[in-house]
Amino acid sequence: MGMDKDRTVVEIGSLRLKNPVMTASGTFGYGSEFIPYTDIARLGAIVVKGLSLKPRQGNPAPRIAETPCGMLNAIGLQNVGVEAFISEKLPLLEGIDTKVVANIFGETIDEYAEVARRLDGQAGVAAIEVNISCPNVKKGGIVFGTDPVEAAKVVAAVRGATSLPVITKLSPNVTDITVMVRAAQEAGSDAISLINTLTGMVVDVEKRRPVLATGTGGLSGPAIRPVAVRMVWQASRVATVPLIGIGGASAVQVGTASFIDPASAVKVADGIEEYLVRHDTDIRSLIGSLEM
Amino acid sequence: MESAQAKILYNEQVAQGYYRLGLGWKTPPIVPGHFVMLRVEHGLDPLLRRPFGIYKVLGATGKPPSPLRGTGVEILYQVVGKGTEILSLKAPGEKIDILGPLGGGFPAPAEGEKTVLVAGGMGIAPLYLFAAALKEGLLLFGSRDKTVARIADEFNGFNCNIEIATDDGSAGRKGFVTTLLEEAATLETVIYACGPLPMLKAASAIAGRAGARCFVSLERAMACGIGVCLGCAVKMKDGGEKENRNYRMVCSEGPVFDSRAIDWDVL
Repeated sequence: MGMDKDRTVVEIGSLRLKNPVMTASGTFGYGSEFIPYTDIARLGAIVVKGLSLKPRQGNPAPRIAETPCGMLNAIGLQNVGVEAFISEKLPLLEGIDTKVVANIFGETIDEYAEVARRLDGQAGVAAIEVNISCPNVKKGGIVFGTDPVEAAKVVAAVRGATSLPVITKLSPNVTDITVMVRAAQEAGSDAISLINTLTGMVVDVEKRRPVLATGTGGLSGPAIRPVAVRMVWQASRVATVPLIGIGGASAVQVGTASFIDPASAVKVADGIEEYLVRHDTDIRSLIGSLEM
Repeated sequence: MESAQAKILYNEQVAQGYYRLGLGWKTPPIVPGHFVMLRVEHGLDPLLRRPFGIYKVLGATGKPPSPLRGTGVEILYQVVGKGTEILSLKAPGEKIDILGPLGGGFPAPAEGEKTVLVAGGMGIAPLYLFAAALKEGLLLFGSRDKTVARIADEFNGFNCNIEIATDDGSAGRKGFVTTLLEEAATLETVIYACGPLPMLKAASAIAGRAGARCFVSLERAMACGIGVCLGCAVKMKDGGEKENRNYRMVCSEGPVFDSRAIDWDVL
């Protein structure tokens, strides 16, 4: 369709993506699982499932519950651990023309830094996304995600442990998102992604118990998109670094939609190209162009 | 394994609340135990696909247990919630999104083992193709009443005897199908069970007491169906801590599991 490829290029700090479509961490596994279903090279970047220093079992079941236009999850950050990711999962993406962003988390600040250190220098990893916002683990996550002082410590520690671009992923479960944005960027984050899931609960009224084994979980899907858009807009008022929007089927990081349709991310990429051609513009001109 | 649009060929009530759904779909190879995920709406609510065991392969070439290819599949389902209610209103000619076949199949019986299939309600569906491949076996089918019990008639051409239990006693024995299993299970038995969770728990316990092997086909709420979201986790008894493998995913590592491996206390 006469598409100039440069139209879709975005730069997030030193991270250059061929288009702005990224998968949301936790919705796309380690990326290679989707090779049979869709052309993952059409994606700007794959953000992999959150990685910890040691493998993690995750939460008891049930872990998911469907909600109107969305779902709750409380997976509990089950993952293979950073070492197995590097040795077993990362090689499966070798040679595929997309960028890999490693999402990381820890229970302590030192652990965050150590995971980042192990990923530093891995040829296949283009950036690190720091998850300070998972609502489903008891230790770490949510404390770092709601306390600007603690958040800044984590970001600074990761910043000091890697030469890769650092993206900080924020929780929406705060009163004032701009406080967290300022904390992350002042601590050296190269970019900020938002939002993680909104804390929610589904009750089985017959059993008079929550459906999820953990009681509460994180809400994702199209249901949260307006909240995500609002918070990205609020964040943009104070952000001095690039923002990456997440939440809802067709926001820039494609999330739960991957479950509905493994090719959804590709469709979003197609949709963006179509939009740019129709408006005869490019992504860089669009960024920050919202009129209020 | 691919996402496609299937055409609804028929969607008929079998008994009150139970339906058979014929889907025109050029199938990839299917083995007994496979399931598919159907998206009942084009819109966003309900959002997620639902898993359904494959009952029959339509226009199949080949013979079980070899993988079957066909021109479609038949699904048996019970209306249990919003998704299946929407599904029950679909008319022939409509298109429906299908993902599959997914999961793995039932392991074959060992030489000399006596095969017993235990089904509760809709749990009979994934056992059909498996029964078709048997040289010899016994099907125990438990259901609400004689109208549902009639589904077992479709197994008549196979090399397996059939015994029925119903809740109301309108066909076969009155009571639970697991009572029939209690009488049939011996050390030489291998049990294949699919049905409601209490039935599977009971079958597993009976197998344990008899010293029989037992494989169960589990059902859990799923989001992706391909092992990515880690939502349909089931806890295993052992072997976990060391390998960090306490949880298995029903979609990608099941849905069939050796019952001895499952931690039934938390399921």
